[in-house]
Amino acid sequence: MVQLRPRASRAPASASAMVDEGQPASEEAAEHGLLLGQPSSGAAAEPLEEDEEGDDEDDEAPEELTFASAQAEAKEEERRVRDTVRRDKTLLKEKRKRREELFIEQKKRKLLPDTILEKLTTASQTNLKKSPGKLKEVNLQKKNEDFEKGSDSKKAKVQKVQTVGQNKSYLALRLKDQDLRDSRQQAAKAFIQNCLYGPGTNRTTVNKFLSLENKRLPVKKAAAQFLNHAWGSQKKQNAKRFKRRWMVRKMKASKK
Amino acid sequence: MDAFGGPIWSMAASPSGSQLLVGCEDGSVKLFQVTPEKIQFERNFDRQKSRILSLSWHPSGTHVAAGSIDYISVFDVKSGSAIHKMLVDRQYMGVSKRKCIIWGVAFLSDGTVISVDSAGKVQFWDSATGTLVKNHLIANADVQSIAVSDQEDSFVVGTAEGTVFHFQLVSVTSNSSEKQWVRTKPFQHHTHDVRAVAHSPTALISGGTDTHLVIRPLMEKVEVKNYDAALRKITFPHRRLVSCAKKRQLLLFQFAHHLELWRLGSTVATGKNGDTLPLSKDADHLLHLKAKGPENIICSCISPCGSWIAYSTTSRFFLYRLNHEHDNISLQRVSKMPAFLRSALQILFSEDSTKLFVASNQGSLHVIRLLEGSFKHLHTFQPQSGTVESMCLLAVSPDGNWLAASGTSAGVHVYSVKHLKLHCTVPAYNFPVTALAIAPNTNNLVIAHSDQQVFEYSIPDKQYTEWSRTIQKQGFHHLWLQRDTPITHISFHPKRPMHILLHDAYMFCIIDKSLPLPNDKTLLYNPLPPTNESDVIRRRTAHAFKISKIYKPLLFMELLDERTLVAVERPLDDIIAQLPPPIKKKKFGT
Repeated sequence: MVQLRPRASRAPASASAMVDEGQPASEEAAEHGLLLGQPSSGAAAEPLEEDEEGDDEDDEAPEELTFASAQAEAKEEERRVRDTVRRDKTLLKEKRKRREELFIEQKKRKLLPDTILEKLTTASQTNLKKSPGKLKEVNLQKKNEDFEKGSDSKKAKVQKVQTVGQNKSYLALRLKDQDLRDSRQQAAKAFIQNCLYGPGTNRTTVNKFLSLENKRLPVKKAAAQFLNHAWGSQKKQNAKRFKRRWMVRKMKASKK
Repeated sequence: MDAFGGPIWSMAASPSGSQLLVGCEDGSVKLFQVTPEKIQFERNFDRQKSRILSLSWHPSGTHVAAGSIDYISVFDVKSGSAIHKMLVDRQYMGVSKRKCIIWGVAFLSDGTVISVDSAGKVQFWDSATGTLVKNHLIANADVQSIAVSDQEDSFVVGTAEGTVFHFQLVSVTSNSSEKQWVRTKPFQHHTHDVRAVAHSPTALISGGTDTHLVIRPLMEKVEVKNYDAALRKITFPHRRLVSCAKKRQLLLFQFAHHLELWRLGSTVATGKNGDTLPLSKDADHLLHLKAKGPENIICSCISPCGSWIAYSTTSRFFLYRLNHEHDNISLQRVSKMPAFLRSALQILFSEDSTKLFVASNQGSLHVIRLLEGSFKHLHTFQPQSGTVESMCLLAVSPDGNWLAASGTSAGVHVYSVKHLKLHCTVPAYNFPVTALAIAPNTNNLVIAHSDQQVFEYSIPDKQYTEWSRTIQKQGFHHLWLQRDTPITHISFHPKRPMHILLHDAYMFCIIDKSLPLPNDKTLLYNPLPPTNESDVIRRRTAHAFKISKIYKPLLFMELLDERTLVAVERPLDDIIAQLPPPIKKKKFGT
């Protein structure tokens, strides 16, 4: 049975397959090689092309391949593959490096200039020994004074520092703290409003409270605020608009 | 300083005064050390589940009771751990969906904790065992405040319905030693929530949403029937909130967070005595100036010429320049206030608007000269006695030579503005000064005190005037001395040196020094008698105090020029209409 060499794909992964395949083929070839004695280098050097060309003539005998040539060819493939992999890796590495640099550049642009950061860190180091209460007080005093200036530096998410160095013209804040403070204040306000004036409390309106007297007089009077001027505000607005439009139409019609 | 626990709901100082406890929104109780230089954070107690709404120290300083939502915790101060957690019923003898909020706690020295909550209950707990001893239901609405007397034998609570209850420790039977807490007196002097109460040795003081401060003396503690033994209801502040720029007919109103400037309207109609004339030109709202920052405005003033406005909050001082062009005004802020000009208790401009006098809260008095767009600091008068004077009033003479300043302890100091030194001091009096003014030409200093006494002191002569000595010898009419509200403003007529115009919240009075003084038998309030009475009778009944009660409640009254008087009324109904809603009260027949 003639074993046709399988059509080889160009993918490098099959290089090892070719090496393996080369072995049994070479065994055969080795057998035949002794008989033929001339493995055409041309045939060994370009087996793939020949393979495709060889497919046209099915009844031809398969080409003979020596072990050495196949091995060389396989090694060649391997080397090529390794090269491409290495190249790809280096390319990727370079790309990543460039991206990193770009990010660092962008981040640097967002932060405060170096000089100020240096001042802040040195100031915080020297003052860490002081009591936290005093610093908090100082911090808040400055915050009150430099509130407008502090809002400019709010854009940078710098960690909260204890003191503000020599300059004292700005204050670094963390946005997260402000959100927490606001949410707590909202919760507290909502709580007190709800438990004193919310549903379930037995409250009356100011109008009813002031009218209570009027109801008990010997001559009963009307409520303190008898008319509700806020009733039907949308209806009144629509009516006004309609009236205006009707007037305009009427004017136009009468002019004609 | 930030306590880092969120909004602070309650604060209590230890009996020794060296520690401060703060109850926060996140359920933590924080302990602070109070020293003369600063307040320093010491530590946190055990953190609780819900916000700490009320705190109370045990008189010995070892334990603390904290009221929260649905429970009360008792803490040991040394370790900071919660010893007991006492659960409060949501409703007296029942269940409810609404949470029970403990609005106030009080810790007595025998270990009893008294709690008042939103279900209308007053409960007595034993802190040693953590159990409920007694339960009182006193209202259908929240009980919002509690205050215990110093002897711990009585306490007062205020409810949301406006009722104030007095609880006393009385013996069970007349000669037994066992005592129990009994609700003795209810007082209904408020219409809205009573949010704060205080217990003084002789009186119960309550204040709430309806803006009245009610002082109810306890009759069993009162020995002498005097001014203090009557029920007092204070509605309006005892300081001047309106300033007037006489030359331009402008009024400056001081609110809590903003100032309003109005120009008075005018009329061309004429009529007879007692008519109300229609306005030909309406009052004009010229300026609405919002104060910078969250603090309240303490004092404000406008210069008599109307070109300077100054006001002060607790930490900052603001000075503005007003330019009048035809009918419009433009405002310009004078920036760069000097460092010593921080917080002022009283501000006053001189009559010619060239000098500004500021009484700071440190006790010193600054004199500043006002120039075109800026100012120059002239002099500072340091406090005499070294103590910080809290309540301060200023008055300047119309000719600009004398400046009078009153504090609490020493008498009224009179300074010479020309020579910038102290001229003399009026002898001290045990009651604080409520109004101060210097008359034109005669330079007599008129002082009104809170016990309704009025003195007249001559500055050039450095002694009380003859008229003042006469009236002190005779004494004021008893009805004058029993008036509720103090005199808040004194002014003079430029052409009539014998007249003094004063006002309090419910009357204004012109004192005519040339007429005889009334004694206790004469009628104090005698409006003009009918014209068919003979001249002789009219002369006989006329006395020096001409009182009119046409305008009330009166906030301010001033002589604009020789023929015009401006009076500012503040009707109570207007204030009530803007208050938050009260608790519903079902009345029979409505």
